[in-house]
Amino acid sequence: MAALKDVAIIGYAQARNERRAQATEVQFLFPVINEALEMSKIPRREIGFTCAGSCDYLSGQTFAFVMNLEAVGAWPPISESHVEMDGAWALYEAWVRLQHEDIDTALVFGSGKSSPGPPAEIFPLQMDPYTLTPLGLDPVSIAAIQGRALLDAGKVTERQMAEIAARSRRDAMKNPYAQVTGDFDVDELLAQPYIAAPLRMHDIPPISDGACAVVLATAEKAREVCERPAWIRGIDHRIEAHQPGMRDLTTSVSTRLAGDAAGARSAPIEVAELSATFTHQEPILCEALGLGDDVAINPSGGALAANPVMAVGLARIAEAAKQIVEGGHGRTVGHATSGMCLQQNLVCVLESD
Amino acid sequence: MTDTADTDTVQGDEPVTMMEYFMSLRYSDVVSPPVMRFRDALLEGRLIAQQCPICKLVYVPPKGYCPIDTIELDERNEIQLADRGTVTNFTVVTPVQYYGQKETEPFVRASILLDPPGGMLILQDVVDVPIDEVRPGMRVEAVWAPKDERDVDEIGNRSGSALDGSLRGFRPTGEPDTPADAFSDKVW
Repeated sequence: MAALKDVAIIGYAQARNERRAQATEVQFLFPVINEALEMSKIPRREIGFTCAGSCDYLSGQTFAFVMNLEAVGAWPPISESHVEMDGAWALYEAWVRLQHEDIDTALVFGSGKSSPGPPAEIFPLQMDPYTLTPLGLDPVSIAAIQGRALLDAGKVTERQMAEIAARSRRDAMKNPYAQVTGDFDVDELLAQPYIAAPLRMHDIPPISDGACAVVLATAEKAREVCERPAWIRGIDHRIEAHQPGMRDLTTSVSTRLAGDAAGARSAPIEVAELSATFTHQEPILCEALGLGDDVAINPSGGALAANPVMAVGLARIAEAAKQIVEGGHGRTVGHATSGMCLQQNLVCVLESD
Repeated sequence: MTDTADTDTVQGDEPVTMMEYFMSLRYSDVVSPPVMRFRDALLEGRLIAQQCPICKLVYVPPKGYCPIDTIELDERNEIQLADRGTVTNFTVVTPVQYYGQKETEPFVRASILLDPPGGMLILQDVVDVPIDEVRPGMRVEAVWAPKDERDVDEIGNRSGSALDGSLRGFRPTGEPDTPADAFSDKVW
């Protein structure tokens, strides 16, 4: 919905994404949270509310989300909450919490260590337990079904998918947190074998260990501590049917609804950071949000350059905020997704003063 | 409808009301740098920890950070611990023979406050003494396994202060008990 009370992003930080971090999740969260707080200039003990997004299944550690609070500084006790979702939804909860007006700052973080476990075996467990989980339907296989549907519908070509991968990896060369970077030739990418047809390696996100933290403030506080806040002009999330066979995988109705509610189409967007974890999802999201060729898509390299599950969506919002705070842009959008094949989507529209 | 013999479908007597799905997930951790150093020290017969320079709390095994002061800790904050101390609290476990249980007789799990510079070890075995003589305040010392028998394979990021691959446990030293006042704020 459109923002009721003005809330701004005044600090952000990310971990350098790694295929297999030697540090534990708490250990690599430490510098990220410290850096975001430092940028915000809000003393740690003055933070009014803390909200985290993570998933214990990823690292296979019961109550890992409680341990993550050690990186926050939770003694003496603080007011905090957790969502078993990407940190972007933790940001949404914090934004709602700030609407109450009794506090003026919030710390949000998302973190995930995917490397200890087998993602292709873990992710089927989020499907329905009767017909899909026993099939072992993993994210790459079902994304391949989506990619095939998109190709069959004539909405994308394999060459366009490779071009998206090449652009993302090239842009990611400027992103110090990215994991998959470099200058790649589209023809050479297309000469690679399929992993799960029609997806090749470049169409698939890397497995990443990573984290992101964001500090929010209400208008008065943001103006007091920050020269150029990134204002949350609208934020909304929508969900579609859990069973992927019940929806048209070539479009994203929930992204369109969330985008419209957040005001994505009400004025031109300059930069979009989208959680398109597979190349073919980028055109779906661009269509749903009405983003034309004049919009810079994923200048950070996006989720194809680093995919820290549970942090990747929050990182998109942080990157969209960075485009305003550091990049001088006036209006950007950050997008997060959850579930298989873009089942649930969150859209956050940010603006400068 | 096509008229084909469907060999995969069997007509049941009743509707399906329940189904079983067995799963297992295998996770493998990389041991974090501070715990790696802890393991190396155990093989040498040493207990190490990290001490926060601000609050002076001692973390054993080392965590790599102090959650109270929210600062990162590293080798510069490493200290060597004493391998003797005081039982501050204990419980007697009477084992039930569930799958994986190796113990058959009642045994002790004690919290031990190590002598200065400090450090608390939890869930330690107390050996060479009848169970009914174990008490808070009892002075104990580590019984190290012979060097070539020490095994730190079980020590990872999640194992806490489970040291039984390196220590046989703690045994009484025979010294006079530590007065309760000296550790009553450190009972775990």
